[in-house]
Amino acid sequence: MTPLGTTPAADPLRVAEAPPPAPGSAGIGSTVGSNPDSPAGLPPGIPPAARPKRPHRRLRQVVWALVSAVVVAAFWSVDISWDSLGHAPARLVHYIGLMFGPPAWGQLPAAVSATMLSVAMAWFGTMLGIVISFPLSLLATRGLTPVWVRWPIRGFFAVLRAVPEVVIAVLMLSVTGLTAYTGALAIALGSIGTLGKWGYESFEAVDRGAIEAANAAGASRAQVMRWGVWPNAQPDVLAFWLYRFEISVRASAILGLIGAGGIGKMLMDNIQFRVWDVVGMLMITVVAITMIIDQLSGMVRIRIITGRWDLPFAARLRRRRTARATASAPDGTARAAASDPAGTANSEDRRKAEE
Amino acid sequence: MSQAQQAADIAFDHVGVTYPNGFVGLDDITLRIGGGEMVAVVGLSGAGKSTLVRTINGLVPISSGQITVGDVGLKGLRGKGLRTVRSEIGMIFQSFNLAKRTTVINNVLMGRLYHTPAWRALLAAWKRDDVELAMQALERVEIVHKAYAKASELSGGQQQRVAIARSLAQRPRVILADEPTASLDPPTSHVVMRDLQRINADLGITVVVNLHFLDLARRYGQRLLGLREGRLVFDGPGADADEGVFESIYGRSLTAEDMLPGHQQAAV
Repeated sequence: MTPLGTTPAADPLRVAEAPPPAPGSAGIGSTVGSNPDSPAGLPPGIPPAARPKRPHRRLRQVVWALVSAVVVAAFWSVDISWDSLGHAPARLVHYIGLMFGPPAWGQLPAAVSATMLSVAMAWFGTMLGIVISFPLSLLATRGLTPVWVRWPIRGFFAVLRAVPEVVIAVLMLSVTGLTAYTGALAIALGSIGTLGKWGYESFEAVDRGAIEAANAAGASRAQVMRWGVWPNAQPDVLAFWLYRFEISVRASAILGLIGAGGIGKMLMDNIQFRVWDVVGMLMITVVAITMIIDQLSGMVRIRIITGRWDLPFAARLRRRRTARATASAPDGTARAAASDPAGTANSEDRRKAEE
Repeated sequence: MSQAQQAADIAFDHVGVTYPNGFVGLDDITLRIGGGEMVAVVGLSGAGKSTLVRTINGLVPISSGQITVGDVGLKGLRGKGLRTVRSEIGMIFQSFNLAKRTTVINNVLMGRLYHTPAWRALLAAWKRDDVELAMQALERVEIVHKAYAKASELSGGQQQRVAIARSLAQRPRVILADEPTASLDPPTSHVVMRDLQRINADLGITVVVNLHFLDLARRYGQRLLGLREGRLVFDGPGADADEGVFESIYGRSLTAEDMLPGHQQAAV
């Protein structure tokens, strides 16, 4: 470790980099101005500043050691059977052949209607979750309610988030039976946990300015919530609702596996009876429909947050509209008109009226 | 716009503000602002300008003394009583404080919340008279054509004028402005200050504005209050505020920095 006062020229590393000037003669003979080849890298006459020591990141080392230990322990405890790993690729190819060579497209209508039941389950469950979680998340927001109201509700959300929907559904089976309704209720309970947390977090993250302004105008607590908080939180919250629906669609397929109806149930039945070509068709259907819903919902979410549709071809459509507006309005109003096609129509009407 | 209410006097009687962290915001301030006056408050950052303005509508509670607005004492005022006082005092902020993701007209109508029943506020079912009042307020600051635009689509100067319209919609007796031009460029600053000046002259509303820049304060404040470390060190017409006065407020002689954005922070 180099003591702080030592000149860089005395550092053996530095000398090794640039051997020609003798140690200690740093830059004396060099021309004025910084010379990157000189051992000190400094113009003559300027003493080098004290350099900071490289800090020890002790905590980081401890964390890495712990993570490595956990990984090793995990390998031990799952008891990997290395022999069967060798056969896995061949078996995989065999089953893929059974499933997709070719899939049983004859059952597609049944699969689509089962998927729609799953989607309906997800939609109903998410809506119910929104209705219940929204007032609760208001009550869980810091600055709106006292701690003794806030913390129990937050704890309730945390417990619901910790329990997977499948477990909730299994617990509810004894009460409501093996139906799609049970699945929807399980999804509702599961979504209350996440929606509630997202809700109060976005209410708390809102810009304080509008809240201050509403207070300064003499608004009541509920009015501050409605006009100081909600307008600014609204797009985020709506987007979260949609995102939660996307998650629910995936969860509803899994709920079917325990018999709660829909595509998951159909999948499970066919796996049990080893009807592999139907299983292959079902998997394609689930993936396709889930992806379509994800894409559509994602587009709506982007529209809500940015205020603009992010569709394929949208850019080209806008360009064409701008070009048309420019052609019809050469008097400099083109830019305003381009963003507002209705306005273009109005100004054209006005011009006609003037004639 | 008809002004139903009389401009209110504001009286500070030995007012002190000590923040929870022990910082003294205001130290024994006694002064009187007459109804219809236009007062500019100047001082370094941390001198208590913002605190002084915010005590008048109770956004900062006072620790000692008494503030009287009209005939209501603010000390210890809470709940409905405090909301009633606030409803008569409009406020304009440095960063505009609009609900940016809703329309301009909704923002202006926030000035009517005190007079709006809860269910109407919840459903945005504003009273017709209130909408008319809000439109008139927007006309006064010449921005009524943006009534249904989203507030976030407006420029800084336009947003500040919406904020002025919001305070006007309250039919206020007093308007407070907390560094209303600090986020604006110089020409826009003058537009906003002229709007405030016109409101003061035409409607007779008492205006208390704290300002970063001395040239603006001297030009628009009929009366200047100088604060230094929480104490009132100058109170008089802007014209009387000469070099020596500025030195007593700022603790140093006047420089070009006091006329430009980004002048130096006071050591707290």
